[in-house]
Amino acid sequence: MKTARLAAGLTALALVVTGCGGGDESEGDGDATVKLTLSQDVDTLLPMDSNVSDNISVLDVVYDGLVRYDPKTTKPYNYVAEDISSSDNTVWTIKIKDGLTFQNDEPVDAEAFARAWNYAAYGPNAMGNNYFFERVAGYDEMQGEYEEDDEGNVTVTTEPTAKELSGVKVVDPQTLEVTLNGPFAGFATMLGYTGFFPIAQECLDDIEACSTQPIGNGPFEIEEWDQGQSLTANKWDDYSLEETPDFSRIEWTEYSGDSDWADFEAGDIDASFPPPAEWQAAVSDPDLSSRMVEGPGAALSYVGFPMYLGKPFDDVEFRKAISMAIDRDTIIEKVVPGRFVAADSWVVPDGVPGGVAGTCEFCTFDPDAAKAALAKAGGWPKDKKLIIHLGEDPESEAIFKAVGDSIQLNLGIPYELDPTPDYFDRRSARDFTGIMRANWFPDYPLNENYLAPVYASGDPKEGNTNFGYYNADFEALIQEGDAAPDLETAVTKYQEAEKVLASDMASAPVAFSKNVMFYSDRLDNVVLDPFSGEVKLRLLQVN
Amino acid sequence: MGRYITRRVLQGFLTLFLVMFLLHLLTTLAIQLNGNPAQAFFGDRTPSPSQLAAVETRYGLDDPCYDQLGNPCIGPFVERLGDYAQGDFGESLRGRPVTDIVSTAAPNTLRLFVVVTITWLAIGMTLGGIAARRRGKASDHGIRGLSILIDALPIFVLLLVYKYIFSVPLSRWAKDTFGSDSLPALLFKPSFSPQHAWATLIVPGILLGLAGSAAFIRLVRAAQLETYNADHVRTARSKGLSERHVSRHHVVRNSAIPVVTAVGIVFTEALAGAVITEGMMNIYGMGGVLWKAVQDSDVSVVIGVVTLLAAVTVVVMLVVDVVYAALDPRIRYE
Repeated sequence: MKTARLAAGLTALALVVTGCGGGDESEGDGDATVKLTLSQDVDTLLPMDSNVSDNISVLDVVYDGLVRYDPKTTKPYNYVAEDISSSDNTVWTIKIKDGLTFQNDEPVDAEAFARAWNYAAYGPNAMGNNYFFERVAGYDEMQGEYEEDDEGNVTVTTEPTAKELSGVKVVDPQTLEVTLNGPFAGFATMLGYTGFFPIAQECLDDIEACSTQPIGNGPFEIEEWDQGQSLTANKWDDYSLEETPDFSRIEWTEYSGDSDWADFEAGDIDASFPPPAEWQAAVSDPDLSSRMVEGPGAALSYVGFPMYLGKPFDDVEFRKAISMAIDRDTIIEKVVPGRFVAADSWVVPDGVPGGVAGTCEFCTFDPDAAKAALAKAGGWPKDKKLIIHLGEDPESEAIFKAVGDSIQLNLGIPYELDPTPDYFDRRSARDFTGIMRANWFPDYPLNENYLAPVYASGDPKEGNTNFGYYNADFEALIQEGDAAPDLETAVTKYQEAEKVLASDMASAPVAFSKNVMFYSDRLDNVVLDPFSGEVKLRLLQVN
Repeated sequence: MGRYITRRVLQGFLTLFLVMFLLHLLTTLAIQLNGNPAQAFFGDRTPSPSQLAAVETRYGLDDPCYDQLGNPCIGPFVERLGDYAQGDFGESLRGRPVTDIVSTAAPNTLRLFVVVTITWLAIGMTLGGIAARRRGKASDHGIRGLSILIDALPIFVLLLVYKYIFSVPLSRWAKDTFGSDSLPALLFKPSFSPQHAWATLIVPGILLGLAGSAAFIRLVRAAQLETYNADHVRTARSKGLSERHVSRHHVVRNSAIPVVTAVGIVFTEALAGAVITEGMMNIYGMGGVLWKAVQDSDVSVVIGVVTLLAAVTVVVMLVVDVVYAALDPRIRYE
């Protein structure tokens, strides 16, 4: 009797399950649906606030920017913009194509850009992409003034005096005039970034709704975002520009920390990357490896030196010694196979305009030369440990433990890792006593972005905040580049600035990220975005 | 019975209040020691002071008491209690209401617990019952050996082996044989799917239940053995009742009391296992939400979710107590 009741219960449960499972049969494989994954960290789809690769890649098909980037060369070309010009690199005139609309039929005009940019630049809105507008005139007035005590607590002393950027002027519906604080030849290059996308008035009226259900102007419309679980988008039928893929639907499943690799192998999703333990099996599988695509990534991991501490960190020979003692290739092969390539430049080679390999002469592993350089620098105090400061991230801890081992083995300097949760706070407070693991992820594709934001400060006395680096020649070359008459001349000037970094060994580049993706046999023409490492959805084809 | 329940409910409220106050004190101390959690909002980026101030105000972290080490911050606590009383559980660092997060996550965790509890009871009652009835025989030794084996296999090992070795080929086979939306294909899906919540939770739930079932098997066995030797069972047998009747009415019911209590206790323990299961099977549930909120220093979510979990635990304990009292009349008169 009892067993019979139990059996009945299980049957009922099974029926519920089957009933639930028999639902949407129509979403079969023949349909042109692409199934991808997102990390659960995505918490907004507001362009002004989106700054991680996941929401950037979603918004890339939901919004159109003024410019888009060539997937191979990353060079910008006009898209929503008809023309972007400037005679002095300070005042920029942006002409916008006529007749474009948002998915709610509002016009995509100069006002649509101005309202998005003003919202992003207003400090109290706390948008993730706020700092992109630093170069625009009137930015400072929108931030207000604050006092910060030793514990990082902030009190408002002066409220912001402006709610709009004085440097952004709507001349007529199709023309926007932007005045910068100073000349910057690369301004047009920045305009394709997510933070510069336009927004509809309806979006501004209800920012909260818009952050989960954005009103875009791109080829796909968000259908539903079940936050934490899944996101779906359908093709927007009224899309009028040319760059739109031929599939009709995208389904993203959100993943927490764990890998989606098993789901990829089971055929439930279309593109994935194996966890380190599965890497070897994946690349040696002839079928899988035939569906692998690789491309250069844009992120640089490097060793920073606390030059503000003086000896030995401010000695260029010491910095050369550390750099030459690091066996980059072996570290990558043993610790993070397939994910990184050894770096021998400060700007990613071939990844952005102006990036060339080999600018760092002392990035080649050479233990003997390293020892000689250390001796020249006066050696390392006996029995003193070299502290390596870094954030709390298992992968970079593994890499920098290997970097420390390499230094210890080849220079005889004992080391100690100091993983800290307050890495960024401590770094900007100059609270470090040893070398540090640093990482740079560029914001827009231009070699300048790897140089000026990281090393320039305009402060000959203190140097830049993080490292205490200053070189007048470097600063001058960056400024000459910013004021150059055209982008090509600017890029050349920035390249010269990189050479100054190289002769100073201002930091020791360790590795560039590498983008790798495996894709299902349903996909074709899989191209990876060098910036986000994600599949370029607009180029993707589904069989 | 009515007075007994009232007393237990009042005790439940007191427990809940104490839990909330303790939680408040701990998070306040954490903020005072570690500094500004608003910083967490910005991740890797260094925010401008204006942004930091805006975020502090938005999440009620601008109260000066958070800067004074040792200050219990009673003001914000009373404010929070008031908000909770009105059903406002606050927002996550990205402005998503905590109630919204919980209403998405809680059903998944509850489904998981349903499968887990059924697995416990099914395995525990069946194997424990058999072992008790056949005490000292080969099947008893076998079942006790099995329970040790189960204990030796932690949940993450079970899940890893299942996910990477069994689920991929099984799911491919089921898809090819029965179609991609068939029940077998969904059962063996390597990860949870919100569209097919029940089907994709069954296997992870069974594995999590299996991992926790060893204690249950031993408990049921011990409880039933004790009852088999009790006077009233001997009386029942001597009256000539059938063995089946004796075991169903006199043994199983009487030995159910410790088992029901254990369900309540193990329920809270299962939450720890759920964090692992949810993480590995990509289930958007309470364990995972809490885990991530702690990592991100998302104070409102941590406090909101823990409060809700504490409330659920108090309710489960209450239900267990009531069932306990219903099963054994002596208890309610104590």
